[in-house]
Amino acid sequence: METIANDFTINIATANGTGSQSANLILLQSLFEMGVPVSGKNMFPSNISGLPTWYIVRLSDKGYQAPGNRTHIQVLLNPATWDEDLASLEPGSVVIWNENAKKEMNRDDVISYPVPMSALARKINPKIAKLVTNIIYVGVLAELLGIDQEELEAAVAKQFKGKATAIELNITALGLGRDYFKENLTKSDSYVVEKRVIEKPQFFIEGNEAAALGCIFGGVQMLAWYPITPSSSLAEGIINYIPQLRTDDDGNATCAVIQAEDELAAAGMVLGAGWAGGRGMTATSGPGISLMQEFIGLGYFAEIPSVFWDVNRVGPSTGLPTRTQQSDITLLYEGSHGDTQHIVLIPGTVEECFEFGWRAFDYSERYQTPVFGLSDLDLGMNRWACEGFEYPDQAMDRGKVVRERDIFEAFEEFGRYLDVDGDGIPYRTLPGSGMDPILYRGTGHNPKGVYSEKPDDYFELMQRLKRKIDGARDDLPAPILREEEECEIGIIYLGSMENTIQEIDDILEATGIKVSQCRVRALPLHSGVEEFIRRHETTIVLEINRDGQMYGILRKELPNDLITKVRSVAYSDGVPPRAGIYAKLILETLKEGDN
Amino acid sequence: MSDKPARPARAIKLNVLNEPKDSYTGGKSSLCPGCGHDQISNVIISAAWENGIEPHRVAKMSGIGCSSKTPAYYLGQSHGFNTVHGRMPSVTTGAYAINKDLLYIGVSGDGDSASIGIGQLIHAIRRNMDMVYIVENNGVYGLTKGQYSATADIGSKKKKGEPNKTQPIDLCALAINLGCTFVARSFSGSKKQLGSLLKAAMSHKGFALIDVISPCVTFNNNDESMRSYGYVKENEITLHMTDYIPHFNPVEEIEVPEGHFRDIELHDGSTIRLETISAEHDPGNAVAALTALHEAESNLKHVTGLLYFDNTKPSLAEDMGLVDIPLVDVPNEELRPNRETLEKINAALHS
Repeated sequence: METIANDFTINIATANGTGSQSANLILLQSLFEMGVPVSGKNMFPSNISGLPTWYIVRLSDKGYQAPGNRTHIQVLLNPATWDEDLASLEPGSVVIWNENAKKEMNRDDVISYPVPMSALARKINPKIAKLVTNIIYVGVLAELLGIDQEELEAAVAKQFKGKATAIELNITALGLGRDYFKENLTKSDSYVVEKRVIEKPQFFIEGNEAAALGCIFGGVQMLAWYPITPSSSLAEGIINYIPQLRTDDDGNATCAVIQAEDELAAAGMVLGAGWAGGRGMTATSGPGISLMQEFIGLGYFAEIPSVFWDVNRVGPSTGLPTRTQQSDITLLYEGSHGDTQHIVLIPGTVEECFEFGWRAFDYSERYQTPVFGLSDLDLGMNRWACEGFEYPDQAMDRGKVVRERDIFEAFEEFGRYLDVDGDGIPYRTLPGSGMDPILYRGTGHNPKGVYSEKPDDYFELMQRLKRKIDGARDDLPAPILREEEECEIGIIYLGSMENTIQEIDDILEATGIKVSQCRVRALPLHSGVEEFIRRHETTIVLEINRDGQMYGILRKELPNDLITKVRSVAYSDGVPPRAGIYAKLILETLKEGDN
Repeated sequence: MSDKPARPARAIKLNVLNEPKDSYTGGKSSLCPGCGHDQISNVIISAAWENGIEPHRVAKMSGIGCSSKTPAYYLGQSHGFNTVHGRMPSVTTGAYAINKDLLYIGVSGDGDSASIGIGQLIHAIRRNMDMVYIVENNGVYGLTKGQYSATADIGSKKKKGEPNKTQPIDLCALAINLGCTFVARSFSGSKKQLGSLLKAAMSHKGFALIDVISPCVTFNNNDESMRSYGYVKENEITLHMTDYIPHFNPVEEIEVPEGHFRDIELHDGSTIRLETISAEHDPGNAVAALTALHEAESNLKHVTGLLYFDNTKPSLAEDMGLVDIPLVDVPNEELRPNRETLEKINAALHS
């Protein structure tokens, strides 16, 4: 039989809170250590224990990181989703199932490997059989696919750092799974794992941890946060790094952490920190951003540096708290009532989570305005391969802050909101300095910061704010372009779609369509985005949402002659983007355009 | 021709920093003439001047409402932040994390503190953040033309409309129950008492709440209202006469009354002296303070004075475990770990 190496998807169906996450990470890590390009997606419920969880492992020599368009190997442990999971499989799929789950195998068109997982687990320790059951299926998979025992054991050791009993128990359980397969079953499928040599060494890291490290290297001085999935691990990442990276020999830190009473308070604290001259930030998700709207407007209007990370989950309302989406784009870009416009940084890789982590503070202090980091659950909470983080290539930019009296006195005229340099960015002094003491306000104000309802004062202020943020466009991270010579079809996309785009591109290319790629990395849009559209006959704006929010921004900001060249492909079902679905939608949209 | 000598320049009174009182004033008030809030602003000016506080080391914080406009009318040499409705505590918390050495004076109203922002007030108290929190309490929403607030007493009647039927929130009782470390009530017309309380609050390490009954002359000053001038003057029980002794000048302008008094030492070495008028109230006794509040309430009266005080709790600055200098003064190179540190992290992640 012909073998299929490193090109298949494993779906593992378990229940939340049974310890399957550890088992799945051991599987993922051991494949990763064998040099197999692999990605893992945790599809977990908003629940502590009991609800269904799926973990999707995709092996792809082509480097595809999306969940894949179908399941090749299904591991069945959860009776609650058993029938549905089984029914969804294509004929010829492999099913490894727990014989003790009191469920039946009712498909005869699949390759079936029954394993008495619970019984095997009980042999080791009846008290923790449920936990051990998970590691048994990893052993079975290892034997079935040919995963190195050495790499497995190393992954176990990494997962249970220094906990000798846990390591021993897991290795024993792995062995039981392996032996059971060897002694009782015969491999009758084609899937195998083959070692690969990686040119550059990589490690696995979640986007949230990468962003947390970036914030630490950005010199964050105050973190105010309120727990919310899927952003909590970003805040906790910062908290975990403070003792090592931001604490002196006496145990005193240079970053304050405040767990706020709600997101409103967290946003208020961030503004207070910025007002006082510090680098304050929060990490939240869509519902938190909704609550922060009032402060976001104050930050824009009173011009207070402030950094907000939004790890996007599925909305509206509470939505699907543990699923992924790109649906907060306009919420961030035009946040709060009145006319506003905000800087949004959109990382697409873990390296960029780190980089934008530190850059966000520089932009925020340079432009004296709220700056958002827009990540999502897929990028933030799943593990991604990373070669390492690069040290910031620029010194910290604290913006136009007048710290010394002689500099202050050299100003012919000083006003907190006076546009001295013509770039819309005024100078500021800090509380406690005694220089230009003003009462900051969210009410209308003149260039001196004094309350004003005068039509000219308001009009000029709003025009200057527009000029200021518009002026940031080409200073923000430029789009990443991968262009075809033909320049027929362009695809604009953003964020974690980076992990699916190449597979989409390859599917389209197989149908004879060559597409160029343009990954937007910030709002307001860089001039390079407009130029990309101008160069291409048709541009598709690809997003993980229903309404085509980025498309809407382009429609609003592009010159009239370009608007007709742009089309929207927006789709979201909560699952990380699968290439097949988007490729199909793109083809349909292009076809519509031809008619 | 008269050879009368020229009149000598009038001596300007200076404080311990050689600053005239003018250094502590602000812009012209746009509140209604006679507003209690303006009296409070004047007391803030006097208290800061008498305490010898450097004006630029004060941060004036406020929310939204008539009261929250007042930071424009005092301490013109201080930075301030007129934030959003009810959210002044959180903004102050963030500013305090960055610069713990400023003196934060927050001014708010009953709409800010007892309604929209009651959660933020509660949590600022819970954290025992170092700040003076003044509630200019008139039981009414002024800027929106006279709706009852959550502190309006039952049966109280404003100029127009029905009497209030909803139970009021007593912010002092709330604060005492939350373990607030300095809780006082005063009246905007009681300049001496309020001044003493304010000066003590400025020296307090921790959260100091002063609930000041400050009548609204426009919407809530008819005699059926329980917060009008007439009503309060008739029915106020003065629990204590308070006098404050600043540490740099222990005998400044103080008439030490004969009879019963008690000194309470504050964190900065200054002392607050309480004189008991009507009862032996121990400000360390929360139950007695609550009893006094409830008794006054049931007799439809207001009890003023320092109700509760506790100097044993750590303030937020101590809890945060930060370096000694304010974070705003920490140089950039100490905020960003160096290149070698990142290389070590990368290496550890690779291992």
